[in-house]
Order: sequence, then C-alpha cells, then structure tokens
Amino acid sequence: MTFTSRPRPAALRRLAIGWLVMVGAAGLLAPWLPLPFAVGVPDLLHLAEPPAWTTAPRHWLGTDLFGRDVLTELLFGARQVVVLSLPATALAALAGALAGGSAGFWGNRGCRLPLAAWLLGLAGAWWLAVLPGGGHAAAGLLGAAALAGWAAPRLPWVSRAQWPLPLDSLFQAAITLLGAVPRLVLVLTLAAGPPLPMGQLLLLLGAVAWPEPARQVRAQMLQVRTLPFVEAARAVGLSPTQVWLRHALPHACRPLRAVVPLSLAGLIGLETTLAFLGVGRPPDVASWGQLLGMVRQEPSAWWLVASAGGALLLTLLALQQVARSNR
Amino acid sequence: MKYAWIILLLAIGGCMCSSVDKHQNHSIVRVRWVRDPENLSPLVQPNQNAVEALGLLHCSLLQLDFATGEHMPSLADSLPRLRLIGDSLTEVQYQLRQEATWDNGRPVLASDVAFTLKLYQCPGLPNEKAKAQLSFIRAVKLYPAYPRRFTLVCRGQVPGFSYETGDFPILPEAALDAKHTLRSYSLAQLARLSSLPPRDTTLTALVSRYQHADPSHHPERLPGCGAYRLVAWDIDRFLTFVRKPHWWADTLRPAPFVLQAKPRQLTYVIISDENTAALALRRHELDVLPQLSARAFRRLRAADSTDQELSFYSIPSYELLMAGFNTRRPMLRDSLTRQALGQLFDPAQLQRATQLGQGLRTVGLVHPHNWRYYNDSLPLPAYTPRRAAALLRQAGWQRRLAGWVQTKNPPQAAPQALTLRMRYRADDPTFATIALQFRAAAAALGIPVALLPTESSSFTKALREGDFDLYVRKVSSTPFTFDFTTLLHSRTIPESNFTKFSTPTTDRLIEDIATTGAPAQRRQLLRRFQAIVQAQAPLVPLFFLPYRLAADRELQHLYPSGYKPGYYAAAATWNLATGTVAAH
Amino acid sequence: MKRWLLLQIGRAGLAAWATASLVFILSRLLAAGAEEALLGEAPDLQTRTVASSPVARQALQQRLGLDEPVFYVTRTSRDPAAWRWHGPHNQYHRWLAGLLRGQLGWSYRTGQPIGPQLRAAFAYTLPLAVLAAAGATVAALGLGLALASGGPASGGWRAALHLALTSLQGIPVYALALGLLFVFANPDALNLLPAYSLGANPADLTPAAYALQLIMPVLTLVLAVLPELALPLAAALRHELRADYATTARAKGVPAARLLRHHALPNALLPLLTSFANLLPTLLAGTVLVESVFSLPGMGRLLAEAAAAHDYPVVVAGVLVTAGVRLLCLALADVLYALADPRIRLAL
Repeated sequence: MTFTSRPRPAALRRLAIGWLVMVGAAGLLAPWLPLPFAVGVPDLLHLAEPPAWTTAPRHWLGTDLFGRDVLTELLFGARQVVVLSLPATALAALAGALAGGSAGFWGNRGCRLPLAAWLLGLAGAWWLAVLPGGGHAAAGLLGAAALAGWAAPRLPWVSRAQWPLPLDSLFQAAITLLGAVPRLVLVLTLAAGPPLPMGQLLLLLGAVAWPEPARQVRAQMLQVRTLPFVEAARAVGLSPTQVWLRHALPHACRPLRAVVPLSLAGLIGLETTLAFLGVGRPPDVASWGQLLGMVRQEPSAWWLVASAGGALLLTLLALQQVARSNR
Repeated sequence: MKYAWIILLLAIGGCMCSSVDKHQNHSIVRVRWVRDPENLSPLVQPNQNAVEALGLLHCSLLQLDFATGEHMPSLADSLPRLRLIGDSLTEVQYQLRQEATWDNGRPVLASDVAFTLKLYQCPGLPNEKAKAQLSFIRAVKLYPAYPRRFTLVCRGQVPGFSYETGDFPILPEAALDAKHTLRSYSLAQLARLSSLPPRDTTLTALVSRYQHADPSHHPERLPGCGAYRLVAWDIDRFLTFVRKPHWWADTLRPAPFVLQAKPRQLTYVIISDENTAALALRRHELDVLPQLSARAFRRLRAADSTDQELSFYSIPSYELLMAGFNTRRPMLRDSLTRQALGQLFDPAQLQRATQLGQGLRTVGLVHPHNWRYYNDSLPLPAYTPRRAAALLRQAGWQRRLAGWVQTKNPPQAAPQALTLRMRYRADDPTFATIALQFRAAAAALGIPVALLPTESSSFTKALREGDFDLYVRKVSSTPFTFDFTTLLHSRTIPESNFTKFSTPTTDRLIEDIATTGAPAQRRQLLRRFQAIVQAQAPLVPLFFLPYRLAADRELQHLYPSGYKPGYYAAAATWNLATGTVAAH
Repeated sequence: MKRWLLLQIGRAGLAAWATASLVFILSRLLAAGAEEALLGEAPDLQTRTVASSPVARQALQQRLGLDEPVFYVTRTSRDPAAWRWHGPHNQYHRWLAGLLRGQLGWSYRTGQPIGPQLRAAFAYTLPLAVLAAAGATVAALGLGLALASGGPASGGWRAALHLALTSLQGIPVYALALGLLFVFANPDALNLLPAYSLGANPADLTPAAYALQLIMPVLTLVLAVLPELALPLAAALRHELRADYATTARAKGVPAARLLRHHALPNALLPLLTSFANLLPTLLAGTVLVESVFSLPGMGRLLAEAAAAHDYPVVVAGVLVTAGVRLLCLALADVLYALADPRIRLAL
C-alpha cells in the first residue's frame, strides 16, 4: 500500500478482501501445501536463527525458539486464526452487541417479566443446582409457572404481578466480574483441569473478549434510544423487542466496526498467555500468538515480530478496511 | 513543541545517570534475584533466595565450602563424630566453637541447638517442610558439664548424616524462649504432636510469641550469629545486608573459608525480567547476574564491549533434566518398550540447541564429575530411531498402517495401540523444545504423542496421580547424597516415585547404597545401580544443566560453581588494582 | 443527585463484595494448588524425605484453616449429590468476619497481613496508572482529532498514522516495553534512562530519580492502550462529520476545525466515555508485563505472582480492590454521560 498515490477505496477494499481470502486459504490448505519443512518439527541445529536465503537449510523467514520454520508455522498458524481467533472475535462481538444493546436499551426498569417467567427461571436454577428436594421441588415450581402462565390473561392480579429484570445492573456486574478477576486467576482455574477442547476454548475466548464491544454498544445505545426515530417507531406501535432489534440495535452497533478488528489482536495475544500456562492449544499447534510470544524469551528475534506481527497487522488492516467500506 | 518535556526529562536523566560512578563504593556487591525471598523465617525457607539470605543472617553447624565442594565446620569446631547404635540408630556428636557468640556477646551453646531443633518440630508453627526434612533426628543429648557439646540421635545408619545433621540455621533460645519453657519438652514428644494441644499453655504461648515477633518479615527479632544484618527490605525491589562491624568469626585464625564475609554491604536487587537485568549489568547498575538462560548468556556475550567489562562463567550444575515413564501403564510395563522410547530423545542435539552445548551428558543419576561413582562403561543415551524400532518389535509391537499395536497377552484382549501423553511444565521453553523433538522423532516412527504442558503446581499433582505416560522434568541432586529413595524406591510410590517403578532388587540396592560408607563397596553398588536403571529405563537421564553467571570483571573470588546458588557472594572482593577504596 | 451517587457507591460496594466472594469460593475449591505450591516443587534427590507428604499437607491445611468447609453449605460430590449445612465454622465466614473488621487476611506465602502489602503495591501503581491514563486520554484525543480532520478517505500522513496505530496494536506489550528499554537504557544505543527502577543505590531514591523511572513504563502503557482509544474515536468522529447537522453547519460556514471540536467531538466522545473511564482500573491491575520489565513492584505483578503461586488470600483481596475501583469508575462514566448529554436519563 502506498500512501502518497491515494489508491481508490475500491482498490484498497479488493486488496483487503484478497488478503483475507489468502489467510483463509492458507488456514484451510496448509497441510497440502508443498512446504520444505514439516510443521512442528524442530530443526535443532538452527534454533532461533534469522532468515537464511542463501545458505543450505533455507528457512525463508527464519526459525523460532524451538527451531521450527517460521514460514511453515505462519501458514499453519493461519488455521488457528480462521478456526479459533476469528470465530471467537465474531462470538464476542455478537455477545457484546446483544448484551450491551439490551442493557442499554431496557436499563434496569424497562424489561418487566411476568410471574410465570420468574417461576420458570427459579425452577431451572433449582434443578441445575440440585437444591434440596431436587427434581420434585423443581417440578412443583414448573407447575406453578404453568399455572401462572395460564392464569395471567384471566386474573388481573396475576397479570399485574410483574417485576423488572435489572438488566443493566446484571450487565455491569458481569462486566465488572470479568474485569476484576485477573485473567491469570481465570486461567489457573481452568489450568487445573484437563486441556480444553476447541469448542470450550472458543467459548472461553469469547467470554473474555465480549466486555469491550458490549460496553461500547451499551454506551451508544444509551444515546440511540433517545433519538427521534426510535421514539417514532415506538409511537407507531411496534413491540419493544421489534424496536430494539430492527431500529435501535443496528445503529448502536456502529462502534463495533472500529473495535472488532482490534479485539482480534487482543485475542491472539491472549492465546499466548494461555499457552504459557498450559491452557489452550498445545505447543505443537502452530499459532501466530505463540510466535509473537516468543519475543519474551528472545527479544532480539526481530524476524518473529516482523513475520507474525506483520501478518497480524495486515489482517487487522484488511478487517478495518472491509468494515469501513461496508457502510 | 509538544514533546519538549520528554526531551528535557531525557536530558536530565542523561546527566544523572552519567554522573553515577562506575564503582561508587568498592565494598558493595549487588546481585540480581529473580524473585523476592518472600519469607525470611528459618522455619519456612520457601525458595532458594530465602535460603541464601538466611545463610548470611545465620550460621549452621556445617557449611558447604565452595572452594573444595565439601562440608566444613562453621559453628561446629570440627566435623562431627558418628557412632552406630544397634542396627537402626546413629549418634552424631558435635562440639561448638569456643569463639561463637550471639550479637549480644552471649555464647552459642548446645541448648540453642536443642531449642532450634525443637522449634522445627513444634506444632502450630509454619514448619511443615522443615519438620518433614529433619524428622530423622529423634533426640538431642546435652552434657551439663560441657555446654558446647551435644549428640544428635538419628534414625537410620546413613553416612550422609555427617553433613545432613549440620545443615540448618541455629537460632538463639534467648530471643524466643528466654524462660527456657521448651526445655521441659523432648524432641520426640514435639515431633509426635501434629497439632497444638488445646490446653498446653506453654506451647501456645511460644507460638504466640513467635507470631508476635514475626521473624518471617522481621529477621532482626530472631537475630542469628551470621556475619550480616538485614538493614532494608523493600518487597519485590531489594534487600540490603550490612556486615556486622564486630563479628565473632573475625577473631578466628586462620579464618576458615566458610566463615568469610568480605563485602561490607550485599544488596540483592529483584529484577524479574532477564533482559532488564542484562541491561542493568551492562550499565553497571548490577555486579552479579546469576542463573542466566542460555540465550541471554549468548546475547550478553555477543554484545559490544562486554568482553572487557564482564566475566562469564558456565559450570555444569547438579540439576538433571530427565524423562520418566509411567511404568504402571500396560503399554509401558515392558522395559524393552521403555528402552525403545528412550532412544527417541536426542540429548546431544538438545543440549547443543538449548544449552549452547554447556552442561554435561550422563548415563544415569550420578553426576559424571563424581568420577569415583560414575559408571563410565555404560553408553550415553543417544538418538537411534532404528534401534528403537527394533526394540519395539522385540517387545512384541507390530507396525500397522495406523501405528504400533501389541496383541501379545492376553490374546483375547483388544490389541493395544502405542500412543503417548507427555507432560511437562509449561513455563520453561526448554521442556517444550524437548517435547517437540521427541514428538517429531516418535511421529517419524509412527507413534502419536500428545503434548500436555501443565502449570507447575498442577504438574506435581498430575504426576502423583499418575495422569501421564511420559514426563520431562528437572531434578536437583547434590554431589554428596546417594539416596535414590525419593525417585525409585517402592516406599515412595506415589508420593515422589512418579514412575511407580520398583523391583525388589533395586529397592535393596537403593537401601544398600544409602547406608554403605566404604567408598570401594559403594562404587560397586552405584555402578550396578546405574546399569540396572539404564537397562530397566524407568527414567531417561538427558543431561545435567549448566549454571551460567555473568559478573563485573573486577569482581573476584565469586567461586562460581555447580552448587546452589552458583556463586559465593560473601567471599567476593573487588579488584583493587583499579579501585580506590579498600574493601575491608 | 446526591442520593443517586450514594446509591451508586452502595451498589459498587455490594458488587465488589459479590465478585470477591465468587473468586473466594472458586479459589478455595481449588486450594490443593496452594499446598503444592507452598511445600515446594516436585521432590528431588537432595533430601531423603519428601516435603509434600500427606502428613505435611494435612498440617499445612490445618494451620491455614483450609481443612474447614469452604462455605455455609457445601454440596457433596458423590452420587446422589446432596447439600450439607456447616454453620458459621467455615472459611467464608471467617473471611467475611475479618473483612467487616477491616482485615483482609494473611498471605500464604509471606505470612504477612495483606493490607500493607496491597497499599505498598498501590503506591507504586497509582502514579503510573494515573499518568498513563491521563497521557493516553490526551494523546488519544489529539490523534483522534488529527485522524478525523482529513475527511473519509484521506491519504498522506494520516494514513501513515492510522497504519502506525494499527501496527502498535499488533505488537505485544512486552515487545513494546523491551523495545523502549533497548533504545533508552542500552549502552549500545541511547544510554539515558536507568534500566531498572532503582539506579545505583536503592536507599536514596530522590523524586527526580523516581520521575525518571516512570518515563518508560508510562510511555509503554500509553502506547499500548492508544490504538484502542484513538482508532474508535477517529471512526466515531468521521461518522459524526457525515451526519446531517455537520453538513448544515458546514453550509452555514462553520470552520472545519471548529465543527470538529465543538460539534462532532462531544457527540463522538459519548460512547467512548466508558472506555476512557475504564482506562484507570484496567491499568491498575493489568500492568503485569510492564511492571516486570521495569522491575516495579506494583499491583499487577503482586496479583499475577500471587495467582501463579496460588496465594489466594492476596488474589481475593486484590480482586476486591480492583473491582471496587472499576465499579466506581463505571459510575463516574455514567455521571459524565448525564452531564454531557441531558437526554440520557440516569438509570436508578
């Protein structure tokens, strides 16, 4: 990319999509690419050596701290980006949008739930926690919930028995909990158990990354919900859920465009921390975060930062470009 | 200009830093520690740094002489006399030095030693670790006519008692128990108590006095008879020890090596990051940089102008890097299989790659520098995948398309496949390199290996619970102790014998080695033991790690060595040829 | 307003307590790690006895009070799962009772009360975090405005700045800190600043030397959080500049700079207020790497090392403090919202 010639946005966009497709292709096709070095096999004679283009073992991008070929690792690492980091980022953005959006829209008072819903929730919690009485008590509560649901349209006092769900407080509490618990504690809690399978790792990364997008969506929602068009939609007689989903949320999600690409970088960095504590993927699974994290042991290994950091940077820029041109 | 203030500050910084004299004071030695000692109570000793600090504050009966590598009398006036009693007890008799006194001039007496041992066994104090480690001392005999003489009655008959009984800091009775209340208890009596008896006011009072004095953070309230005093301790930043102006050992002629204290001030700076520490050393903000990693060592050496300013040392230590098998797994029960898998490690390459070729390869658990006991007729473990395949076939494994399977016994059982789960600590890249090398070698042979890097405290737990097929870890040893009970005896399954390997022969051999004093006989037993362990292959020793040290070139008499912590700070002196101020 | 503030503070306290309680219970359920960590590493060949024997573990549990049940009620893990009531003789009750008396507990490792330890760490981290938060806010505002002032598809130095900020996000904090160190405290490069926080003699630490030490850590932190603040701000500003009111203002002849600062900025800043308010608490607890590179004994390192050593009382106390600060900052952000935009009603 050159900055002086001012390429047209469309060209930039094509470049961006091209890069993302390349990363995706590398991630999916890496095992079948004709690479000079096998993945995960250390070259003990060349540990953490800078790129060698002329001498015998041609490590085009150098080797990492374990003696693995950086180019190979980078290509296989793209797989982690495609399979884990990008989905986790998307998951975090989605969760953040829904949680932050609803907390900002309804606040503490806006979402009123009828008696039946509360009883249903209580029954579920009772059953999950195996509280005294176990299944029987839960069944009883379930019955009560059904009764309340049946009675609500018929008896006025039942239909009046509604309590607001303090969505905003719950949201703040969840965010604070995740923010206050040091990541390390969270991770150590998990480290005691068996290594996480892919799905759970995805959930974990999503759970760690959602607060930032959520906070921004909530803040934007506080503003959006007072805008005239939302009021208008309400006045037309749409249900609150429809107003929220169709009108308010799309506008409140605008900050995500700038935040989401950045949180990808954060997630790839987090993977390194996880690997350091033995949670997450074992070291034989190549990842960009792992390559970047090795700078810690070998700060003079500029080629690691240059290659893995460069790949990450291009991905970030491409995502930003796509997000910006998708208006 | 927006950034003017930054430039201004940088300029000020430049002036200030350059004004710092290279060797401001030639009697201060500054050493880097990775972490805070955390707790300076002699009862706790949570890490090596605390042990080192306690060595400055306190004296023990014997102390390791870094110059000769032998234990030498420190508070004791000579090495102890051992006497075997019956067939299961040993009496170890010590005589304390006439000159030894506490800071207030009172003599160090046998009653202080007895008090110290009782404190290590007293319930209600944070002494769980020490209690277990000194549990072999069953009683202390005092002699009213000779207040400096005492005898320790030890369980077992082990030649190692001659120095093991002398290796703990001696504490002053007057500081914690001026009224001698603990004298009414016997050592055995205290050792039996697992918790504080509710109605025992004497012990309760002692425990509360200890807690009130809080020696874990105020070592001055439990003053030792060592050469140094702790004058400043800023947690996670630095500790400053100052030489006592009048120390009892100053009068000794000739001055024993272990009772030296040259630097007027010793400052331990806590710098957790190695790169920062290396820079600090190059900027002369630090004098000694021990426990360097291989890469940092190489970088530091390669940097400009370090040749003239720094000295570099690398000495093989007694820390052994090794792999172990879970011998209770059906697929690993056969020693041939274990031997075959052991051939897949490449110690030579790994040593070169991860340790710059420093350190020492070995055939077994005995250090090669122990030339008298080291079995040099055994072959060093080496990378021979072809032999590994042959050994696997010999053990009854068959190579199939999917991998190796064994259908030997019992025939009706489903054929078992050879797949391994390898555990190691996640915090050290050396382990990861070894694991990757093994995994690649095994994969080339068709054996799938799953790597399980584990957080360090979960690691010990997983090993104890047998949740692994293969582990890689570091084991500390000493040149003196030849007791392999903790690693390979049936008695320590599963507490510390994680491989769960045991045979009646090896059990017997381990016990004999521990109790035999005669060098010739011991040599024979040890050589046989090394041969058996190599043949049975519950463990695969890879190599002994080196200790690397970088220090200011003008700092002399550091005695870099393979013993922990790798140097002897109390003997260090500055080269006065270029200096100006006399050290002492 | 006063009532609202009190309510917020009360709510923050309550939430901090709930958070710490949760961490307390979670950590105690895994306390096996604590004994393992305290009794030393895996056994070796130096001693003939194993320190981590069941007897020693039990004695340790007893001394630390870990042998008591964790909570008032516990669930037996065996089948069928059932709940058991323990009464006030449980670890949580002790902790809570101590907390109400202002006692945070004792560290497993050092045996010291946690309060002074936290205070000392706080004293190191607070100036660092406040300076970094202030610096990052100022820099983010400046860069955000600069980035947005050129219009949507601007090239030239703005694109370069954008690229630089994005690449900053891709560099690990650790590499950033080390990079600064290698530039400013390296005998081979600029030998200007002290490599670690003490200088030649730890005893005399003058304010000037202290200020000098803070330069690199603060700079690292500012650089580390800058992209996350400046880039969304620039994006929001650009969006505002495309809004109808901006077009109208431009048509009326409002100068571009004035439009940006006085019209677009307040609107664009609003959703980002939380991010700015969150900066301080994030920096308070999240500076582990920077603190370890620059050898500062701050909160981040204290908590991280405590967590790694399974020293849970310290972790729980740290969680309590950081949660409290974070909640207060969130409340502050809400106040700022209401002040900035009267249309937003404060949710009670």
